[in-house]
Amino acid sequence: MALRGASLRSNIPAEAAWPHIRRCDCVLGILGFLTLAGVIAGVGRLLLGLGATTALTNVYSWGIWIGFDFGLIAFAGAGFTMAALVHIFHREHYHDALWPAILAGLMGYVAVLALLVLDLGRPDRFYNFMLYWNVHSPLFEISCCVLLYSTVLVIETSPNFLGRLKWSWVNPLLGVIRRAMLPVTIIGVTLSTLHQSTLGTLYLNMPHRLHPLWWSPFLPVLFYISSIMAGLSLATVAYRSAMRILGRAEDRSLIHGLCRIVVAFSVMYLTAKVAELWWAGELPMLWTEGLARLWLAELLIGVALPVGLWLIPALRRTSAIQWIVPILVLAGVLMNRFDATLAAQVVSARARYTPHLLEWISTIGILAAALMAWIIGVRFFSGEQRHGHLH
Amino acid sequence: MRTQRTRTPHADTTKPEEATPLTRKLNRRDFVRHAGLGMAAMANVVLTETKTAQASSAEPDADAVGVLIDLTRCTGCNSCALACKVANRKPNPEVAPTELSNDALTYVAVEKDAQGERRFVKRQCMHCLHPACVSACTVGALRKTIEGPIVYDAYKCIGCRYCQYACPFGVPTYDWNNPLGLIHKCQMCFQQRVATGKPPACVTACPSGALRFGKRRELLAQAHAEIATHPQDYVDHVYGEQEAGGTSVLYLSAAPFEQLGFAQPGSSPIPQTAEAVMALTPVVALSVATLATGMHLILRRRQHRDNVAPVTWPETKED
Repeated sequence: MALRGASLRSNIPAEAAWPHIRRCDCVLGILGFLTLAGVIAGVGRLLLGLGATTALTNVYSWGIWIGFDFGLIAFAGAGFTMAALVHIFHREHYHDALWPAILAGLMGYVAVLALLVLDLGRPDRFYNFMLYWNVHSPLFEISCCVLLYSTVLVIETSPNFLGRLKWSWVNPLLGVIRRAMLPVTIIGVTLSTLHQSTLGTLYLNMPHRLHPLWWSPFLPVLFYISSIMAGLSLATVAYRSAMRILGRAEDRSLIHGLCRIVVAFSVMYLTAKVAELWWAGELPMLWTEGLARLWLAELLIGVALPVGLWLIPALRRTSAIQWIVPILVLAGVLMNRFDATLAAQVVSARARYTPHLLEWISTIGILAAALMAWIIGVRFFSGEQRHGHLH
Repeated sequence: MRTQRTRTPHADTTKPEEATPLTRKLNRRDFVRHAGLGMAAMANVVLTETKTAQASSAEPDADAVGVLIDLTRCTGCNSCALACKVANRKPNPEVAPTELSNDALTYVAVEKDAQGERRFVKRQCMHCLHPACVSACTVGALRKTIEGPIVYDAYKCIGCRYCQYACPFGVPTYDWNNPLGLIHKCQMCFQQRVATGKPPACVTACPSGALRFGKRRELLAQAHAEIATHPQDYVDHVYGEQEAGGTSVLYLSAAPFEQLGFAQPGSSPIPQTAEAVMALTPVVALSVATLATGMHLILRRRQHRDNVAPVTWPETKED
């Protein structure tokens, strides 16, 4: 029992030297360029205002920034789901996938905050939600939880960075962090549960705008389940990418296990989505409403297809399927957040929203910066391979 | 006090237990610590909730004011819209606006009913009895006054624009051309006039008697009396009596409201579902924290029994 997972990776050296991967450097260069373009676009937006630099209107007041924001928060669920799996459910077998996941979580939330700063009309007053509370507002709760949970992620990721320092105060500090880690993890899981579900509650205040195929009093539950799906999918993709970047061998049973949990939650989500329509008496809408095509695409591509692929035993263990399944789930959840924010909003037919070029450049820049920081974090701060090292 | 005193020595008697395995001591201490944290968080939320509950979900005052708009008397002269611009110091007070914007808090729309007849419809904030914008506002910049009007504390606003999505009537507008833009909406001239008992600027300016200011209760009775005495002139519906749980602005019309572009938000208050879910926050938080702690304790104990080496996080250096 003590060597769970260890037997699979016996031929790996204890500590890989700092890897030199040329392709990785090229990727970093491109990402750096995109980041620079994004920074310029972002500064332009802050100086010129929303009217000049976005296609937003009084009808479509939230655009792709908010769409990516809500998608990224679900993706960044990688942090809390993996922390819960390893440190609350004690599946230590998944420990190797923890660092790429919580690092991705941190980068996700930093990107979310950057996008929010661009979207806020008064970014200079972003701190006002701490001064003036409205406990009825879902967005107030989300703001508080995102801020606190980002702090949790900083604490959770700090040992890997601090551990590289040679100063004498580092080890005592690491000891303090280690003692605080369990309560911090539990607080992190609680905060994530709250704000991932509250992102669904947010839409409950717009029954007149959100199409009934999407609007449901169960939106908080649906958003929570889908954030677990997306989080563990991103954790899978992040782990596999990190192993490539580091030139280490993958633990196939770990990947298989993560995919299996993703598929289990996907089945739960699919059932809940269909049951909700049946419960609300809205199933006939799937034949009568034009937007039903979007609803079906979201669930077929993002949920039913990965589940279906997984159900074929011959495919399940192939490496390609273990890439495709999590990526499809991520695409499905992103589609869901974009549908809820933009495509499924029922507004006057005259209203149009085609994102401004600067919205795209700034969004891509922020995503590129997050990815770049994640790659650097994986390359230089991953630490040792636990199973190869301990046993 | 008495129970506390008896409890202290009790705690002392448990002290020798700390000599028993390390895990046990940590278990109890962790559990107490988490429980304490959870309780503190819960108490905090409950306290603030009772404090602010009045603002967004309390029943409106019986003497709350409102405006009755009789569309059959409106001549489309735009006096109200121009007076509004003056009262709110908006630019171009001589140009009649054609839509709600940061420069026009009210306007007179020209609609065609099913018979093709032109109808004038003054539009502005409806001043809901259960305002979704107030419930949604992240920082509580929008608030409902006891007198009825929904006012906006501009200094709090962070420009998140959630109110634009929560409003079933599409009222709040954002100042898109201002790099530090804010939300703009009709506040029923609360600060300038209504707070001191004067009617809002639009009502004072109306030359045809289409606008009437008063207590909502009385305006509603007048509206129904109007329908009863002239049933041939009006549809039997006071728009705003039930819509979105009731609004402070009421309308009388000769043509059915749905033909004139009026929103049909149903009769239940918009924010009630979200507020019911938000009220569960402390329960959810406490349950998740308790479940997570319990799960951790049980699974670690089992792991200990199975003699699995516990994983520490972070790894501290051995040397």
